[in-house]
Amino acid sequence: MSDTLQKEEQIKASINAAFRSAKVSIQRKGRIIVEFRGGILPAFASYLKEYLNFKHLSMISGVDWPEDNQFELVYHLWSYEQSIHVMVKVRLDREAAKTKTLTPLWEHAETYEREIHEMLGVEFEGHPNMRDFILEDWDDLPPMRRDFMTREYVDEVYEWRKGREDAQDVRQTIAEQYNTEVPNFNNEDK
Amino acid sequence: MSAILQEKETTLYLGPQHPGITGNMMIELKVTGDTIRKATTHVGYLHRGFEKLMEERLWMQCFPIVCRICVPEPDPNEENLARAIEELEGREVPERAKYIRVMMLELSRMATYLLWMGGQSGSAGLYTMPQWTVGDRDYIIDLFEELTGGRVYHMYIWPGGVRRDLPEGFEGRVRKVLDYLEQRLTDYDRLLFENAIFLRRAQGVGILDKDMAMEWGVVGPPLRGCGIAHDVRKDEPYEVYDQLDWEVITHEGSDVYSRAMVRRKEFEQSISIVRQVLDKMPSGPVHNPGPNPLKWRVPAGEAYVKTESARGEFGYYVVSDGSLKPRRVHVRGPAYVHGVSLLERMLVGANIADTSFIMNSLGTCPPEIER
Amino acid sequence: MKEDWGKEAGNIIARWARKHSLWVLAYGTGCGAIEIPPTMTSRYDAERFGITGMATPRQADVLLITGYLAVKTLKRVIRTYEQMQSPKYVMGFGSCTINGGMYWDSYNTIKRLDDYLPVDIFINGCMPRPEGVIDGFIELQKLIDSGQANGWKKYQDNLEWYRTNQKKVIKNWKMPDYNW
Repeated sequence: MSDTLQKEEQIKASINAAFRSAKVSIQRKGRIIVEFRGGILPAFASYLKEYLNFKHLSMISGVDWPEDNQFELVYHLWSYEQSIHVMVKVRLDREAAKTKTLTPLWEHAETYEREIHEMLGVEFEGHPNMRDFILEDWDDLPPMRRDFMTREYVDEVYEWRKGREDAQDVRQTIAEQYNTEVPNFNNEDK
Repeated sequence: MSAILQEKETTLYLGPQHPGITGNMMIELKVTGDTIRKATTHVGYLHRGFEKLMEERLWMQCFPIVCRICVPEPDPNEENLARAIEELEGREVPERAKYIRVMMLELSRMATYLLWMGGQSGSAGLYTMPQWTVGDRDYIIDLFEELTGGRVYHMYIWPGGVRRDLPEGFEGRVRKVLDYLEQRLTDYDRLLFENAIFLRRAQGVGILDKDMAMEWGVVGPPLRGCGIAHDVRKDEPYEVYDQLDWEVITHEGSDVYSRAMVRRKEFEQSISIVRQVLDKMPSGPVHNPGPNPLKWRVPAGEAYVKTESARGEFGYYVVSDGSLKPRRVHVRGPAYVHGVSLLERMLVGANIADTSFIMNSLGTCPPEIER
Repeated sequence: MKEDWGKEAGNIIARWARKHSLWVLAYGTGCGAIEIPPTMTSRYDAERFGITGMATPRQADVLLITGYLAVKTLKRVIRTYEQMQSPKYVMGFGSCTINGGMYWDSYNTIKRLDDYLPVDIFINGCMPRPEGVIDGFIELQKLIDSGQANGWKKYQDNLEWYRTNQKKVIKNWKMPDYNW
């Protein structure tokens, strides 16, 4: 196992040597997760890009963790030479979510950052163009936040048509197949 | 007179209601004469909030949602989500199911390319081609319908394998369609790919610089059209692509024509891949069943999986917190970069008439930009 | 009496002409747009029934709402609809125009199309097959023939009601008011 993860171990060692504040873990072959706690993300990203050859920015995801009161930004980077995917995770405070933009490094980061700004409400310092991306005239909470309740919003704004099916037949089929009681789809169980 | 016209800057709105736009999006053009000086894309007309809806659904209920993310090509989405869940769970997939998945993915790639051929030639004013290719695409759609029950959305690939085995005699029917399409390629060549008007129109138009393509995270046929051999199927083989005999196709030229040729050759290659799959397909089960979908908890963790779709890298980032519903599913559509920031850049200096031509050659698909 | 007869004959001829030249506005508002190319091209060939695509709203007769409408698109669709010349017909295509379909709890799509636009005919399914689409068009032709496809008149008569519904979801109403 150790010889197949050789490249990953090398990258882990070089990241650890250069940035103390980065916690590197190897998920599996070709997947490295870096939890970056420092505030110098652009420097770290440019280190990955220029020295470790992670040239391809696949995407930037934003995950909401209200229980930790944090947003998590995940930068997905891919190295064509080494066939390794790195996920750089940055945690931001949920109340004042702010980070530096990566547009100087990857110009197409602009759209991802615009989307995260709109969907989660994260501010990107130095971003060239923070206009509306997907939504128009949105005045509610940013919709991808966990505390934005889409069902309540729908009840408030839109009209229902009466007589929507509640998929009784589907539920009965499932119940028969697994020998259980007829289930309830609106299962709020965590 | 012409001097005045050239200096005056006008704003043109292309779309959302415009026949040349692929799907439902809008490009705001600042033009002088008929040269584009600045292009701004506006998307969001198709936003349904899928990623939010998936947080409200059980894991199994996510499958009807993900296939609607990319309308012309739903199968890579299903495959991606299924593979992400399998990775989180550590569930094994039977060998036969893997082969069937590859067959589905390649057939859907061919169907997408046929639709794209129609769009690309339609945007150049050649309306015979859509009549042929969209009609021929229906032969593949009929196969899908027989196998999965749905023409467009299949919901066929699911965690642990595929939903059902191939029907009796299906293999022969697939081969028949492949033979037909292979022979049709000669007609397509004569009508489009060797057509002098198309060559004049496409060569040297929509140049995407090699370095810029790497820098901007361009994927799929636009990248391979710059002569750079990157393909997710080779870079990080999934399913059984490493057991099949095929090559990454590239074409030098970086223009609309080279992107078209990449797709044309890949179409031919997909035919060969499906044939190999049919030859090598082992027998056995096609599904490794999981728990009751209503009480199905996927172990906490995260996974990033990707597929080479007809337009490039389709990536899924799936986060589970161990509950009945996904914590976060984030989708990377290949058109995300191509259709917004790259298109804005590439249109500068182009002719207005080439807008939808270039847009088609990049394979822009708005539903996956906004989801 | 003779005058009425002439008017009636004119109506019959006009309806006959209208039902055999349904020009559909080429506006793919949702994912249903993927079934329009097969419907229009060689296999299903909707042109047999006089159905063909048209690029501009001013020359189109039918507005085909191919699926869910995001609020942002709804605004453009209303504007497009109001630019079309009467008589004009609206077809709701797919379950999501009827009751929201699978987007029933989505914050960004409308749930009932007929609250915002006068729908003459719905085609159900997700998504409807090309045969279904053609069948819907034939039903529409029957409605036109019997003079029942009056959605555009309904829209003019109940404009206030439609406007109230439209303005309820479109927060920033910056559109010219057309008066016919």
